[in-house]
Amino acid sequence: MTDSRHVRLGLLLALPAVALTACGGTGSTAATSAGDGTGTITIWAHQGQDSENTVLQNAVNSFNGSQSAIKATLKFVPEKDYTKTLTATSASALPDIVEFDGPMMSSFVYNKKLSPISDYVLPATVANATAAVKAQGTLDGKLYGLGMYDSGLGIYANKKLLDAAGVKYPASVLDDWTAADFTAAVQKLAAANPSHKALDLKEDYGLATEWGTYGMSPIVWSAGGALVKQGKAAGALDSPAVVDAFRTFQSWKPYVDADTDGNAFVNGRVALSWVGHWAYPAYSKALGSDLTVLPLPDFGNGAKTGQGSWAWGISSGSQHAKAAGKFLDYLLDDTNVTAMTTADGAVPATKTALAASPLYRTGGPLHLFAQELAEPCGDTDITKSCVAVTRPLTAGYPVITAQFSQALNDIYGGADPQTSLAKAARAIDQDFSDNDGYSLTK
Amino acid sequence: MNRTIRRIADHTVLGLLALVFALPVLYLVIGSLKPSDQVLAGLSGFLPTNLSLHNYAAVLHSLSSDSTGHFWRFMGVSLLVAATVVAGGLVVNSMAAYALSRLEWGGRKLLFTLVLLLMLIPFESVAVPLFYLFDTQRNTVWIQAAPFIANAFSVYQFHTFFQAIPVSIEEAARIDGAGPWRILFRIIYPMSKPAFASVAILTFLTQWGSFLWPVLMVDDPSVRPLPLEISVFQGQQPPDWGQILAFGVLLVLPVVVVFAFFQRWFVQGVAGSAVKE
Amino acid sequence: MSTAVSPSPTPAPSPAAARPTTQRRRSRDWVHALLMTAPALAGLIAFVAVPFGYAVVLSLHKARLGSDRPPAFVGLEQYRRILTDPDLSGRFLHALLNNLTFALAVVPLQTGLALALAVLLNRKLRAIGLFRAVFFLPVVFPMALVAVIWRLILARSDQGILNSLLHQLSFGHWGSFDWLGSPLTAMASVVVLSVWQGVGFQMVILLAGLQAIPDERYEAAQLDRASRWQQFRHVTLPGIRTTLIFVALLTSVLSFRVFDQVYILVRGGGLNENATRTVMYEAVTTAFDQNNIGRASAITVVFFLIVLVLTLVQRRVARGDDA
Repeated sequence: MTDSRHVRLGLLLALPAVALTACGGTGSTAATSAGDGTGTITIWAHQGQDSENTVLQNAVNSFNGSQSAIKATLKFVPEKDYTKTLTATSASALPDIVEFDGPMMSSFVYNKKLSPISDYVLPATVANATAAVKAQGTLDGKLYGLGMYDSGLGIYANKKLLDAAGVKYPASVLDDWTAADFTAAVQKLAAANPSHKALDLKEDYGLATEWGTYGMSPIVWSAGGALVKQGKAAGALDSPAVVDAFRTFQSWKPYVDADTDGNAFVNGRVALSWVGHWAYPAYSKALGSDLTVLPLPDFGNGAKTGQGSWAWGISSGSQHAKAAGKFLDYLLDDTNVTAMTTADGAVPATKTALAASPLYRTGGPLHLFAQELAEPCGDTDITKSCVAVTRPLTAGYPVITAQFSQALNDIYGGADPQTSLAKAARAIDQDFSDNDGYSLTK
Repeated sequence: MNRTIRRIADHTVLGLLALVFALPVLYLVIGSLKPSDQVLAGLSGFLPTNLSLHNYAAVLHSLSSDSTGHFWRFMGVSLLVAATVVAGGLVVNSMAAYALSRLEWGGRKLLFTLVLLLMLIPFESVAVPLFYLFDTQRNTVWIQAAPFIANAFSVYQFHTFFQAIPVSIEEAARIDGAGPWRILFRIIYPMSKPAFASVAILTFLTQWGSFLWPVLMVDDPSVRPLPLEISVFQGQQPPDWGQILAFGVLLVLPVVVVFAFFQRWFVQGVAGSAVKE
Repeated sequence: MSTAVSPSPTPAPSPAAARPTTQRRRSRDWVHALLMTAPALAGLIAFVAVPFGYAVVLSLHKARLGSDRPPAFVGLEQYRRILTDPDLSGRFLHALLNNLTFALAVVPLQTGLALALAVLLNRKLRAIGLFRAVFFLPVVFPMALVAVIWRLILARSDQGILNSLLHQLSFGHWGSFDWLGSPLTAMASVVVLSVWQGVGFQMVILLAGLQAIPDERYEAAQLDRASRWQQFRHVTLPGIRTTLIFVALLTSVLSFRVFDQVYILVRGGGLNENATRTVMYEAVTTAFDQNNIGRASAITVVFFLIVLVLTLVQRRVARGDDA
């Protein structure tokens, strides 16, 4: 009896240790194989809006119909769980082609889940990609992902309400539109509105989410700061200028409509909506010619916008990388990119489709976004003159975004910006030092 | 007189409380039948205007291809997993509880202590390492059910119930030469219907709403359970409240139907989960 | 310990060890008992004990989710961080405090309301089944759905049900209030929706307890001209003491595990994260948002120890009460 108890106890303690060593190796077993360019390939995509899903499904169907050597099968995973799903799936269990959210790419590369794609897609496909989307997909000199579309941020404005309240706003990107101007405009609009609200920050998306980081990190960059600078957040994320900028941000809250129903702007409850390009179809339908798009306010280092969106890559475990590359060539052609960006209103991420887009070409209503994306900063060199900033290309991004969006949410809830940002910076730096700075060469 | 007034007062208080409890459910049902932009509309959200099954059709339509997965398949997976956990759990846990409560043997005290200790570990707290250990089993139906079949709390519930059965009954059977298995199946089980009902219902309710584990373990639409799909609808911008609520109704409907038919069993079952006096 | 924890309702089987038949029986029972317990035990070991042991091991390492790099041993560093590090410990201790607040609010509120409902229903009323069904119905609702419904009720805009109702009742003086987002009411909101969902369960258990009290006791009390309150105090309460203690214990253990509603409402419902973050929420987000498995495991282990201590203390108190 005593003996058997000892044995059982020993087993209990030994098992986890065995499992621990076993688990250490799961990710590294996958090795990409080009294959012969035929066979069945599997695809994972995020389940977004119905219209996007339909376009993607149609693209897969028509690809299968256009040739007989490769059969592509598509599976959707709900958007809210998508990144978690990729993180949780070992490289060998991933499908041949994965869609991923742009800023998460480095983390997947670091964990050896993605394979460089230049060997498998046509040079023409790469050459036709816009500079900003290539910046997002490139790490350590290697291209891991290309997107069908890019993204941009702006402030949608209801001209009728602005004019009624007598608010001045910039006519083009070149005009001054400082944070002080913006705050004054918000206050004036709120005073003119019986509900005392003027602004929609898409609070309904949740600020403690990727939206918070994507939507509000331009404030950091525009104030001359960065989420991380040379692998360090302290001094970049919590600099006095950034802290000041977030005090301003905090001061807007009384004028913000919570927008629980997502209709604050289209119903005319507020005059300004701080959101991405994707809001355009609904907004333009509701407001027609009263709609205009303004850049985000300038906090001193020039107006900035976020950039980057869903992109496509080939998993490191793929045994049909060549066939997967052929599918990507097909998916990124003008027909499909145009169909997709028509469905979701996004900025096309290929040069030819962008030039042909009625929304984004010169003179189009959303040309502002194309202009901004034509001035990419990359993720490190955030000067006064460039506009579209890529979120940090580092495997530590999940921690950066978790900490920053948390701090943002706290600040919005009334916490002191200095304390919150400094705390986030310390947490990010500690995590980086725990992981040797997420160096890819280790 | 006084009694009548009291009766009326009691009914009024109960009626008011019942109304407060029923309103959210009413809102759910009405909202699921209304156009989405009239759902979040203050108290008028309760007004049954423009009712149609449009939201339901839209939900079923958007979950009807191999890429997105099929609604009825999600429900099938959920039912299959819940049924496996309930059926498997009843057998496995009741057997263990019998051995731990009625048989006299060396390891019993130690093991029962272990069971009580394990009862204190919330599932959420082992989800992470469990996910690590069973990484290779993702996207299977069995891994959705397996961790929940053996259940320390169910063992404890059966244990409590079995202990209350008079020893004399068992002793008599023993003298007639019945072995422990025969006693378990022929005497103990037939006497324990309330305990089975109680454990079955508790297990089913917990299992049907299971959320965290499937989020971690399932991506493939062909083996995804129903509750995960609510995030498909909540992820849309702007949120389509009518469809979300319609999905909610579909999510809870099977349980409510079961509940309506077996209300007596539900109530007895839950009541039976208390310590017998 | 087993006798301390399980309130044995009948005296343990009499130790009839003296009889030779029992001796023989025992030796055979050992085999049967092992066979009977084996499946459950295997399941519990594979899916609870081993993972938990694994969590202990992981808590001593720096380990990242989805990483192919082997975990690096760091000793007790993760524990030091969550317990004493100026930045991180604050977060963890705050979560713990939120847990306590939740439990301290939910346990008395839910048990009290359940008792009140049970007492009100414990008589020959018309449509008693209907009332019981109404109060019990939310119990069958998955938390994911409860969160959605209450998100709409408590919505911050003036279109939210509660705000709209208060607006009507105050003749337009009530504007709108951010029930989920305000640090003052966020936790209270979670408490309310949790009680709404769970109280029917406790009510049914207590109702069964009440119905087991013999009518004669009430009749005797009425003969003594005991008031309604006196009857409640001297007949009802003593009659359901054990049940009441069980319900309170069950509620407190469950209330400590609160996770689903907080997670879902923070994610998509604008719930104030700081005011409602619980320990389980902290563990799960640390593991799956920040990919920090080591720290998440340490949080888990500390949490288990705390729950263990609390449970032991509770049982001791409940048992001391019995004596």
